[in-house]
Amino acid sequence: MDNVANLMHGFSIALTAYHVGLMMAGVMLGILVGVLPGLGAPNGVSLLLPLTFTMDPVSAIILLTSMYWGALFGGSTTSILFNIPGEPSSVATTFDGYPMAKNGRAAHALTLAFLSAATGALFGVLVITLLSGWVAKFALKFSSPEFFAVYLLTFASFIGMGHSSPFKTVVSMMLGFAFAAIGMDTISGSLRLTFDMIELVKGISFLVAVIGLFGLGELLLTMEEGLRFDGIRARISPREVFQTVRELPRYWLTLLRSGLIGCWMGITPGGPTAASFMSYGIAKRFARRKDGYGKGEPAGVVAPETADHAAGTSAILPMLALGIPGSATAAVMMGGLMIWGMTPGPMLFIERPDFVWGLIASMYLGNVVAVVLVLATVPLFAAILRIPFSIIGPVIVVVCFIGAYTVDGSVFDMGLVLAFGLAGYVFKKLDYPIAPLVLAMVLGDKAEDAFRQSMIMSKGTLGIFWSNPLVGTIMTLALLLLLWPLASALVQRLGGAGSASSSVQAG
Amino acid sequence: MPMFPGRLPAGFVITRFAMEVATALVTAGIGAVVALGSLEYGTGWDDAGPQAGYFPFYIGLFIVLASLGTLTQAVLHQRGRQRGSREVFLNAEQAGRVLAFGLPMVAFVVATVLLGLYVATALYLFGVMVVQGKYRAWQAAAVGGGTAVFFFVLFEIWFQVPILKGPLEAWLGLH
Repeated sequence: MDNVANLMHGFSIALTAYHVGLMMAGVMLGILVGVLPGLGAPNGVSLLLPLTFTMDPVSAIILLTSMYWGALFGGSTTSILFNIPGEPSSVATTFDGYPMAKNGRAAHALTLAFLSAATGALFGVLVITLLSGWVAKFALKFSSPEFFAVYLLTFASFIGMGHSSPFKTVVSMMLGFAFAAIGMDTISGSLRLTFDMIELVKGISFLVAVIGLFGLGELLLTMEEGLRFDGIRARISPREVFQTVRELPRYWLTLLRSGLIGCWMGITPGGPTAASFMSYGIAKRFARRKDGYGKGEPAGVVAPETADHAAGTSAILPMLALGIPGSATAAVMMGGLMIWGMTPGPMLFIERPDFVWGLIASMYLGNVVAVVLVLATVPLFAAILRIPFSIIGPVIVVVCFIGAYTVDGSVFDMGLVLAFGLAGYVFKKLDYPIAPLVLAMVLGDKAEDAFRQSMIMSKGTLGIFWSNPLVGTIMTLALLLLLWPLASALVQRLGGAGSASSSVQAG
Repeated sequence: MPMFPGRLPAGFVITRFAMEVATALVTAGIGAVVALGSLEYGTGWDDAGPQAGYFPFYIGLFIVLASLGTLTQAVLHQRGRQRGSREVFLNAEQAGRVLAFGLPMVAFVVATVLLGLYVATALYLFGVMVVQGKYRAWQAAAVGGGTAVFFFVLFEIWFQVPILKGPLEAWLGLH
């Protein structure tokens, strides 16, 4: 098999002392941002990205992806010990993880969470290994119309499958497109939407937006809720780990189901957060003893953790093979790829096989490194959360602003971060989804270019989007998804349920 | 830990409805600016397909339309509620906490522009620790100064990424 040989070559790249060292550093930084409130995977990666501009791309992506794995694990630690999800995607872990810890089974809950997370990640990497070459080969047939159709499908799926009001999703997404359009127009070379402000000529970096929306926005939200850490102490012994390993096969059905949900949600842009909630919900629905859920049911920890990590990992697949990120963090990493001078998408597999397979191999290794490190460092990171917030809060703020400044060495960006922070806070409170905004900022120019190039090819007729079965199918699917909220609202009204305004509360 | 005792009246409340409306109006405003700003670059089609302003113009338009949609939803939702009941976006206590965190942050950004990031970091940490954390001045000075020096070594020396500096660094010859 082709993929196996490629993967072996990838391992020879990833298994150097330097790269394993980077994995460990990345995982530790990742756990740190995962544990700290306000810092999460997307903005952790954004903060680190400017420091990798001078690195070799393979090393840089290994560092960043390892940070991502670490952040996913770190988020689970605080969910279980402090009942505070360090990451949005680990909210569902608090439902049963914290009760387990309160019942004196903290170490058990943590080990179970980490091991099922690792299983989920393994699921995701296996899917990537098996499918990525095939997807890339398929995508090589794509030209501009097909790419535009796939972009449209991605954005339509946010509107069609999102949990917030479709209007709010559109507002958030279109704002992202508008921000992406600021600055140089790649096709005509003219400047757009700069309103004669010199600072806007270079455009607005998506990194600045991510640091503000996710970083400061999340911090403001945490502060408003009045932060209180009532942590539960835990130390994990090797015996505990072995016992949990022996116990894990008992949850094989939950693991398999959650892994599949996670991979599906990761590849389609549902993302890890939706995956973990869905997986928890389904595990509860099919459980024989429903009343244990919410009071410390181990399967209630296994299900969201597996799906969370499966989704986080498999989100890398569409980013590599199609140039379409499956989650906000993957979007940031894809932006990084473009900054390093690479074009994410099928050509990457032909032009830079060492990069692609080095990355995939590092995902196997990185997750093993992450499990070992996270098990060993639980007491250390739990101690960090006991530092009073009047110290750790300002330090997080400073890190966010340093990160914004390093993107481009611009003072104007620091003001922008502040504005995005306020917007992120208000958007989160009013249930505006933020991931579509980030995705649109990263993909905006590419989507526009694909559309305009298609129009140049077709001399201005939209018929090109239905000119062959492939592009026609994707396009029709995208439009169906786009109209889905409208259709379902109509059906509801005809069916007499008649409460279209209830969607305001959803989310 | 409210830092502004008595500044906000106890009954102070921002309702969710008010915030929904305000946000929708702001996003609609941004949409209008984007659409109007695009008019300059041609929003039609020429030989090379859509002109530079075509995409942004319709994006601006979509923002305005979707914002109006959000506004309508908010109004319908408000009408459907029982008279007298209201959803709270922010109460006085929460607003106090947000301001106690947000205002020093804004002050930090202003200080960064004037004094450079390292000096501003030291002052910011010192201020928050003394006023909100009730630490002794020497403890706060040690943590603030230590953090600034740590960041300096990390970025300027280890990563060699220059960060915004101010008069103090210039005086010390650290450029």
